[in-house]
Amino acid sequence: MTTSRNTAIRFALLAAPLLLAGCASLSGNGGMTPIQDAAKNHLGATLLAASTDQDLDGIDQRVAELLTKPLTADSAVQIALLNNRGLQASFQELGIAEAEMVQASRMPNPGFSIAKLKRGDEREIERGFSFDLGHLVALPLARQVESRRFAAVQRSVAMEMLSLAAETRKAFYAAVAAEQTASYMRDVRATADAGAELARRLAQAGNWTKLQQAREHGFFSEAVLNAARAESARVSARERLTRLMGLWGSQSAFALPARLPDLPADPQDRPDIEQVAMTTRLDVQGAKAMVEATAKNLGLSKVTRFINVLELGYQRNSSNEAPRQTGYEIGIEIPLFDWGDARIAKAEAVYMQSAHRAAKTAVEARSEVREAYQGYRSAYDVAKHFRDDVVPTAKRISDENVLLYNGMFISVFELLADARAQIASVNGSIEALRDFWVAQSDLDMALVGKPSLGGAGPSASVAGTGGGAAAH
Amino acid sequence: MFSRRNFFRGAGALTAAVSASAVSRVAMAALPEPVLQTKPDTMAPLVPNTGRPYNPVVTLNGWTLPWRMNQGVKEFHLVAEPVVRELAPGMKAHLWGYNGQSPGPTIEVVEGDRVRIFVTNRLPEHTSIHWHGQRLPNGMDGVSGLTQKSIQPGQTYVYEFVARRPGTFMYHPHADEMTQMAMGMMGFWVTHPKVKNPQIDEVDRDFCFLLNAFDIDPGAATPKIMTMTDFNLWCWNSRVFPGIDTLNVRKNDKVRIRIGNLTMTNHPIHVHGHEFTVTGTDGGPTPKAGRWPEVTTDIAVGQMRQIEFLADEEGDWAFHCHKSHHTMNAMGHNVPTMIGVDHRQVAKQITKLVPDYMVMGERGMADMGEMTMPLPDNTLPMMTGEGPFGGVEMGGMFSILKVRKDQKRGDYSDPGWYQHPKGEVAFPWTGALPEPARFAAEGGQSMPRLQRKDATAEVNVRKPSGHSGH
Repeated sequence: MTTSRNTAIRFALLAAPLLLAGCASLSGNGGMTPIQDAAKNHLGATLLAASTDQDLDGIDQRVAELLTKPLTADSAVQIALLNNRGLQASFQELGIAEAEMVQASRMPNPGFSIAKLKRGDEREIERGFSFDLGHLVALPLARQVESRRFAAVQRSVAMEMLSLAAETRKAFYAAVAAEQTASYMRDVRATADAGAELARRLAQAGNWTKLQQAREHGFFSEAVLNAARAESARVSARERLTRLMGLWGSQSAFALPARLPDLPADPQDRPDIEQVAMTTRLDVQGAKAMVEATAKNLGLSKVTRFINVLELGYQRNSSNEAPRQTGYEIGIEIPLFDWGDARIAKAEAVYMQSAHRAAKTAVEARSEVREAYQGYRSAYDVAKHFRDDVVPTAKRISDENVLLYNGMFISVFELLADARAQIASVNGSIEALRDFWVAQSDLDMALVGKPSLGGAGPSASVAGTGGGAAAH
Repeated sequence: MFSRRNFFRGAGALTAAVSASAVSRVAMAALPEPVLQTKPDTMAPLVPNTGRPYNPVVTLNGWTLPWRMNQGVKEFHLVAEPVVRELAPGMKAHLWGYNGQSPGPTIEVVEGDRVRIFVTNRLPEHTSIHWHGQRLPNGMDGVSGLTQKSIQPGQTYVYEFVARRPGTFMYHPHADEMTQMAMGMMGFWVTHPKVKNPQIDEVDRDFCFLLNAFDIDPGAATPKIMTMTDFNLWCWNSRVFPGIDTLNVRKNDKVRIRIGNLTMTNHPIHVHGHEFTVTGTDGGPTPKAGRWPEVTTDIAVGQMRQIEFLADEEGDWAFHCHKSHHTMNAMGHNVPTMIGVDHRQVAKQITKLVPDYMVMGERGMADMGEMTMPLPDNTLPMMTGEGPFGGVEMGGMFSILKVRKDQKRGDYSDPGWYQHPKGEVAFPWTGALPEPARFAAEGGQSMPRLQRKDATAEVNVRKPSGHSGH
């Protein structure tokens, strides 16, 4: 209805640019910037939301490049961040949320209706142009809601990204440890095999009875079991890492380092860790933002309780039997039965709910970060004890036993029995080092979000670890 | 050998368990000065310069305790104390002994001497001394609880009796004796005849030593006193080969060797190259009519034997216990026999877990003597000793009787290796071997088994294979 210069339309058309001035527009990268910043600041990694085939090709190339060298914890994280399709799906969700936000901040389209009615010979054509005035009034507020929701989605995607990184890091350490254990168990099996072979030859040479030979064979069969279990643990730890990194096909033949990184010289001393966590944790920040958002929503509900059904329309009705009718129409809901107090009550409850949730989040965050730090410190102490005491003691015992063997005070079978007793300490030391690195990852995660404490994935259980006694 | 007036002040390091102030200095002043020995070497005979004269003995890796004459009484002072004894170069043991050494000094007296022995206890527990084989008043016999109160730490007791009969004796504690003898407390005692005795010949050389045994774990220094039979160090005077001195004599010397057994098993003592007769025991001289020639005499537990022979064959003659395990040093008694078991390949796999592992024993035990591999601290190799022709592969109760025509009378020093006259050493045969004579008249089984199993275990002779290079 352009012919008419209706004041209402004029108002609406003039008002719209004013209202929409500075309104959100699509960022062009799907709202990824803060996520990318988080990845860069917390992990030193880069992110790319793959929207096109070209993007995917780029990712493939970068992953292939990273896979040419044995993985490190950082490169495994980088691969997971680029290549994990679950994360990519979340990036798209971010795009969806951004689009919705932009959508919400745009002026509603005006409505046009036309009706042609016939009553006997009377033909009535009813034209209507309508514009959701309420929406227009609420637009600045709605924009705020949507942008807060978008920010929440951003935080949640950032969280997901960080937690994927933490899980990948843990899976990496677990996989390396499992690899190390499996390789050690293969050595043990080879040595046990040698012992069994020696026992067989002793029996063959007539120096040993069948009973003595059978007893010595026991170590070998136990070692075979342990090697098989370690191999199975190795495969499942590796597969978990493979899944997190989103690898398949020939990519899954990635190389891992032979050993876990050494224990740092000193553990981090973090007396202020709770305070730090309160400012750095995304979930705490998110909870705070949510409280603010619901507070504004509450205010909005109060403001719009009467007008959100206000409707403004221009009418031009014509009939073949009557002069043309023109005018406008304002419909307003009379709050006779619904004064909007239920909506207010709901908004208030939602507000209180988010306030409580924020408090809960803060309490839990403090506890989690304390627990993570405690776990980190004790994992450090345990790993250090293994490194400085348990393993050197086992080594000393082994050295002394070799001296005794040299003097023919004990036989090679006692040496083997001793080696068998050492399996527990070597294995324990690998696991303690792995647990330290896992605890370190948990601690890092606890400072940015909710950690999944503990759980480094499956580990090889070792049979007969207490078996220090000679088997003959 | 040295003596110190301030002995109790200076020797504190040896006896941490007993405070020096436990012994009264005033009381000590009246006693003969205790004489200490710091070296395990064989000391020259102690020629008597007071009292009745006699022909002194030489204690193998030991010494004779000096005395003082006090109004016609020979006074000795024994100090029971913890000592460090070198069992052989490379190994020292924490033992208990007397006057700085285990065994304690030999006490030499003459038949009819009145003897007064002061015994000071510097051990952490009570003790006593029993004078094995002596005729003496019952209250001087040294059995604590039975004939006397035990000597408490810090106390000094005195024993006094007349050495009534000549012969070969010893002394040892009779208080907690399982511990104290296992720790090396013992000593020799010789009573020389006062006048010419028809049963006792004059000799040119008179050696004495005690047989004793310890169980010291490789790498440790203190004997395990609970061990009853499975000892690992078989000693003569708390020394093992190659720590035992040689017995050096002049050709045609009349030699007497006195041996006492304070181990817990018997020892067939064997001399090469000569026959000897047993001329006395701790019961006294054996009647001449009852002596017979031997080359080995078995010395039972708690017994003493004195053997005599004319050293008329020149050379380096082995002299040892004939129990072959007693001429080894510490060894494992539960090590499987590896003879004939080739495990070179297998060893490679074992070194994955035990990197320093080496193959040993598949040819026999002589590998031990040939290889010099690191052993636990303070541990002697099992078979050792380098002779003029190679490794002797001995340990424990082994020594050498060295007979030389140019050894000076009274000279006990080692003359070195024997120079064999031409043609008197075994040599490798290079000619053809004659066909051996066959013996065809084998007997049958006297009582064959009725139901004989068909299958017999297959046991094959194992000849050495050609591999070498251990």
